[in-house]
Amino acid sequence: MNWLQRNIRPEQIREFSLLLLIVVAITIFSALIPNYFVPRTFDRIASSVAIIAVAAVGQTLVVLTRNIDLSVGSLIGCSAYFAGTMAGLDKGLPPIVVVLIAVALGVAGGIVNGLIVTLGRVPSIIVTLGTLAIYRGFLVDLSGAKTVTTDSLPKWIVDLPHASVFSLGKLDFTVSIVLTLVIVAIFQFAITRMNYGRRFYAIGSNPDAAQLIGMPLRSTVFTTFVLSGALAGLAGFLTLARYGNITVDNGRGLELQVVAAVVVGGVNIFGGSGTVVGAMLGAVLIGTLEQSLYRLDISEFWRDALLGLLILLAVASDAVILERLRALWSRTELKLIDKPPPQVGAVGGSPP
Amino acid sequence: MRNIAKRFGATQALEDVSLSLYPGQIHALVGENGAGKSTLIKVMTGVYRPDRGEFLLSGKPVTLSSAADAQQHGIAAIYQEPLLFPDLNVAENVFISHQNRGVMTGWGQMFRQAEEIFAALGVALDVRKPARGLTLAAQQSVEIAKAISLHVRVLIMDEPTASLSAHEVAQLFKLVKDLRDRGVAILFVSHRLEEVFEIADVVTVFRDGRLISTRPRRDVTPKLAIADMVGREVLVQPRKPAARGDLLLSVRSLGREGVFQDVSFDVHRGEVLGFAGLIGAGRTDVGLALFGIEPATAGSIVFKGKTEVIRSPRHAMACGIAYVSEDRRQLGLSLPQSIFANITLPVLRRYLNRMGLLRTAMERETAESYRKRLTIRTPSVDLPVNKLSGGNQQKVMLAKWLNTHPALLILDEPTRGIDVGAKEEVHAMVGKLAEEGIGIILISSDLPEVLAMSDRVLVMREGRQMAILDKKDATQEAVMTEAMGQQGAVH
Repeated sequence: MNWLQRNIRPEQIREFSLLLLIVVAITIFSALIPNYFVPRTFDRIASSVAIIAVAAVGQTLVVLTRNIDLSVGSLIGCSAYFAGTMAGLDKGLPPIVVVLIAVALGVAGGIVNGLIVTLGRVPSIIVTLGTLAIYRGFLVDLSGAKTVTTDSLPKWIVDLPHASVFSLGKLDFTVSIVLTLVIVAIFQFAITRMNYGRRFYAIGSNPDAAQLIGMPLRSTVFTTFVLSGALAGLAGFLTLARYGNITVDNGRGLELQVVAAVVVGGVNIFGGSGTVVGAMLGAVLIGTLEQSLYRLDISEFWRDALLGLLILLAVASDAVILERLRALWSRTELKLIDKPPPQVGAVGGSPP
Repeated sequence: MRNIAKRFGATQALEDVSLSLYPGQIHALVGENGAGKSTLIKVMTGVYRPDRGEFLLSGKPVTLSSAADAQQHGIAAIYQEPLLFPDLNVAENVFISHQNRGVMTGWGQMFRQAEEIFAALGVALDVRKPARGLTLAAQQSVEIAKAISLHVRVLIMDEPTASLSAHEVAQLFKLVKDLRDRGVAILFVSHRLEEVFEIADVVTVFRDGRLISTRPRRDVTPKLAIADMVGREVLVQPRKPAARGDLLLSVRSLGREGVFQDVSFDVHRGEVLGFAGLIGAGRTDVGLALFGIEPATAGSIVFKGKTEVIRSPRHAMACGIAYVSEDRRQLGLSLPQSIFANITLPVLRRYLNRMGLLRTAMERETAESYRKRLTIRTPSVDLPVNKLSGGNQQKVMLAKWLNTHPALLILDEPTRGIDVGAKEEVHAMVGKLAEEGIGIILISSDLPEVLAMSDRVLVMREGRQMAILDKKDATQEAVMTEAMGQQGAVH
């Protein structure tokens, strides 16, 4: 037990059990669905996971600081639609510009969210519930309810889902998968190894203490909303590439999947703990369920209901199991030991 | 610090305070509740700006605009409950407030340096563990390590021992002395006199926002310190005791686990029993237990000759107990609602007509009668409560509970934050209610008030009943001696 306690944190048990759950789910589905283990299944699940995971990375940052961003579904829809429209109008636009249009739209939405939350001091759940509806309203109104179709898109976007970066056996790792993995890696690195990223944990863990030591609370929270918007924009581009046909309804209800991925992935809804990798695992589980249940002809409503159940289970297990584990793990009393003989040059140390 | 002053509205929280702290010295600050200790700490840590006076650090004047600013100047504070980040590990908690930490978090270096600091302090603590789950004493050792890593020059410790066991206090003191020997100036604020005398080099006494005395420890005795603390002029007119009626309430060995224990007293009709003690002594908790908000877990309550197990405020009210809470906003009044709606709220049932609808005219009538009786100054009882002054809000609160026709009235800090005139009116009202035969428990941190109003005074200290003093024995010195746990030192 002591060895266990020293080397594994309760949060890691959480991530490990999630992995186990994914394996169990895949095993069950492979028994229920004929021809489950084919590259096509992997492809479908992976491209669905990519969209959820990219948005979930941004959501993780927001949730770490005790906030939530419910507007991501609408932002994904907006950026997919407008990036698709622009790409259709000018087929010569370089790919990077199309991606930037999508991201910029997301950033704009994130700035609005962040400003209202930090300057208006309105709870983020209300702010983003409002902007969820408003952004969707913009989309419907400005688009005139027209649809972006695959025919109108330049060839490079249509071909993107099949563009493989490298292959592992018969499994193709497409651009969107690689992009997702890179983003997860960057943000995981940032929140564990960069001092700016550690702020998200500090603020979510104890806002009063963060304020006391002069951490810029508002600008940090603002940044998380902007990043969440930017990543939602990128997810919007991935959506455009995946489906080609984008209606004004696109991305509707996706916030449920994104929040589910984050919460199931072990990010504490009350802030302060959780990782980007966890959220990605959450996205993998949800993408797998989503696609496999679809194959089993289970209706969208039941799939959403299942997601809802997963969120509740994750939050409940957080409250009950994880709290107990933590209590078991880290009950530490003050213990004094003999001091080493005093040395010349007091210990103090420069900031690491 | 020179001539620091701070006002809040009508209250002069600090008046002309000059205090000097020296490196390598533990300077203790003692005083009654509301003596200005907390305000001074907030001024020193940049939370409040003083209205007047200047603040010198190593001879140079500085202005502190925020807690972070104070920390940059090498001034830090440790509170009774340290402000750590529970999800971050110990090492990161030590180094989190280092400005200019650079871009990357060097985990290896951070762990090593944190380990060095704890080793030098003689504390065995796994710096990789999250701060969640550390005991208060362990958390304070983290704060001390943090102070060392930040090269803090002035460390303020606000009641750091209030929730610690004797063993933990001894450990903490070892660390504090270590810190002193490193040349840190320490301001140690405590309610526990025996600890002050154990650790301090210099003792300063505050009273009513003024610095009364600063003496080297060897020149002070507990008796002297207490005399300085309580030497305030008595402004409150003593109440004429009412005729003591029948036994109303009899409490034996009442306790609530981890909060207070073994409290026994009687209250007669027409009697005022005062509850004295320092903040956190458990006085309010006894009140909350009697009213069923936080029910007692041990002991017995006999009320009007019947044994009652009070589990809820509803039950307490049915018995005839009313509790006028300390906090008008949170527990007492619904501020946006009208005066009459507040007064009739606990007994709304009385105002229903046969259809089950409220008879508002009757509600107003009741409110009007209390307006006259308690001289609530308002043009109309329809006005929302938040339009009234603090003193008048207090009277509305009193009206609300008197309207439940209680036999026992518990008043918790009834005059806190109201002006002198309103205070006198509340005192007169207490006297009148006692004459009407109501038994009254008066919880107050205003010592002269308790002494003037009460027939007997119960003194509590750290969740225990220290003494019940009769009016003739209840002097300020006697009460403070019990409240501070210095009996024997004075007698």
